[in-house]
Amino acid sequence: MALLEINDLRKTFPTGEKALNGIDLSLDKREIVALLGLSGSGKSTLLRCINRLVDPDSGRVVLDSTDITSLGKHDLRKARIQMGMIFQEFNLVNRLTVIENVLSGTLGVSSLWRAITRSFKKEDIQRAIELCSRVGIADHITKRADQLSGGQRQRVGIARALMQNPILLLVDEPTSSLDPKIGAEVMELVCEVAEERQIPVLFSVHDLSIARNYSHRIIGLQQGEKVFDEQTGALDGKSIEHIYGFAPNGSPVSAAQ
Amino acid sequence: MPITDATLIQNPLRRPAILLRRYIIYTVVVAIILIMSLHLLVYGTDWSRMGSPSEIADIAISLLPNLEFIPKIMTPLVDTALMAFWGTLLAVVMSVPVSYLAASTTTPSMIFTFPIGRGLIVLSRSTHEIIFALIFVATLGLGPLPGILALACRSVGFMSKTTAEAMENVDRGPVEAIASTGAGTTARFLFGVVPQVFPIFLGNAIFAFDANVRRAAILGMVGAGGIGLHFSEQMRSYNYGNAGACVLAVVVLVIVGEIISNRIRTKLISG
Repeated sequence: MALLEINDLRKTFPTGEKALNGIDLSLDKREIVALLGLSGSGKSTLLRCINRLVDPDSGRVVLDSTDITSLGKHDLRKARIQMGMIFQEFNLVNRLTVIENVLSGTLGVSSLWRAITRSFKKEDIQRAIELCSRVGIADHITKRADQLSGGQRQRVGIARALMQNPILLLVDEPTSSLDPKIGAEVMELVCEVAEERQIPVLFSVHDLSIARNYSHRIIGLQQGEKVFDEQTGALDGKSIEHIYGFAPNGSPVSAAQ
Repeated sequence: MPITDATLIQNPLRRPAILLRRYIIYTVVVAIILIMSLHLLVYGTDWSRMGSPSEIADIAISLLPNLEFIPKIMTPLVDTALMAFWGTLLAVVMSVPVSYLAASTTTPSMIFTFPIGRGLIVLSRSTHEIIFALIFVATLGLGPLPGILALACRSVGFMSKTTAEAMENVDRGPVEAIASTGAGTTARFLFGVVPQVFPIFLGNAIFAFDANVRRAAILGMVGAGGIGLHFSEQMRSYNYGNAGACVLAVVVLVIVGEIISNRIRTKLISG
């Protein structure tokens, strides 16, 4: 049985823009899947509908036999703890220290008092320190988040997501704010930690080479519809043209001409 | 092809027709203001009542500060600074719930609570501190307490307005990220919103204190304690030298207050 199961997911924004137009997909345990598509194809909305940062209009999202779409406020919070999310713009709290940003990953399970006083459990702090050294930011733990470089900031974002002990990683354009070299390092790290923890990753990306190099499977989105869903090896020039609606430079199609 | 003739590059907003219309509007507006102001003129003003230069000099000399009076007003001067401090602190505390109601992103209901928050802000900002002081002196009697309450009521609007605006303008990204960890509403606010708003909040609180030092010095004149009370007493008993000493003390206090708040603000921005 798949870990994540999505059925006929639809979302239209109040502006009338149809972001998702009946998406079906399933994600197996330990699978790394890329959502590939142009800007506005619905990648980010799809990711946000899974943990309901955006509420879908209709359809079902089932994570580990829990129907996310039907959950009330309280149970939704519990379900969100299981899904770590990593963002394009890192979305760190700039004026807090690195370690506080990582520890904010425990806010789903912390008591209100701990949130008010910013006092975290000893074992959580210990785990946060270990995660910081795992993602390679051990030297910056007490620095403020806005003093770090882009790549380092994304590493903090990864550590924060892992702090939740998630069973699934949702990753929204993790490399788009980074240069190609740092972006590749970050993607590498995401895949490594997912492998260590044996959890699946669903990441959105518009960069073809990142999708190719780091995913097991690629799902192509175009204007809110799934137009491709195959193992990464099966992605050829024709399918790229199908997903993008044109043949990008350097793709096998244009190279053949 | 490169453009060589400068006249070809024309700012569409500076076309003669548009310019002409603009200057006609300016002229009409200025003319209306001038015509309406005619009403303010008092004909036959007796300018000689201003006094001759020597008379003005005499008055100025009589206002020269009597330095021997200064030790006697040190206590009311400190009182004035303390009134400003407690008034600001009270305003800061009150502005937390008010700004929560008045920020469109946090207010529980746009129909009920939002207008309450905005209404309180308008009420506070449009009422002069002297009016507040008169109300509180009438209800609570003379002394610093009505002064503190008057300053608090005056500043709460400014503090709430700036805080509400800061809350509306926070970067939603971190808030979204905190929400994705399963955090509840309060934790989202404490970790996502507060760290972004706090420096602005603190900077404005210092700014409010700065303004309140100046206001506190005046409030005494309506019986609300502090240096102002002594100033009006000395004026009424024609002790102009002593009144001058009060003015000097206030000037020093305001300058010191400004220096301190500037220091703290600079630290805040760089830190």
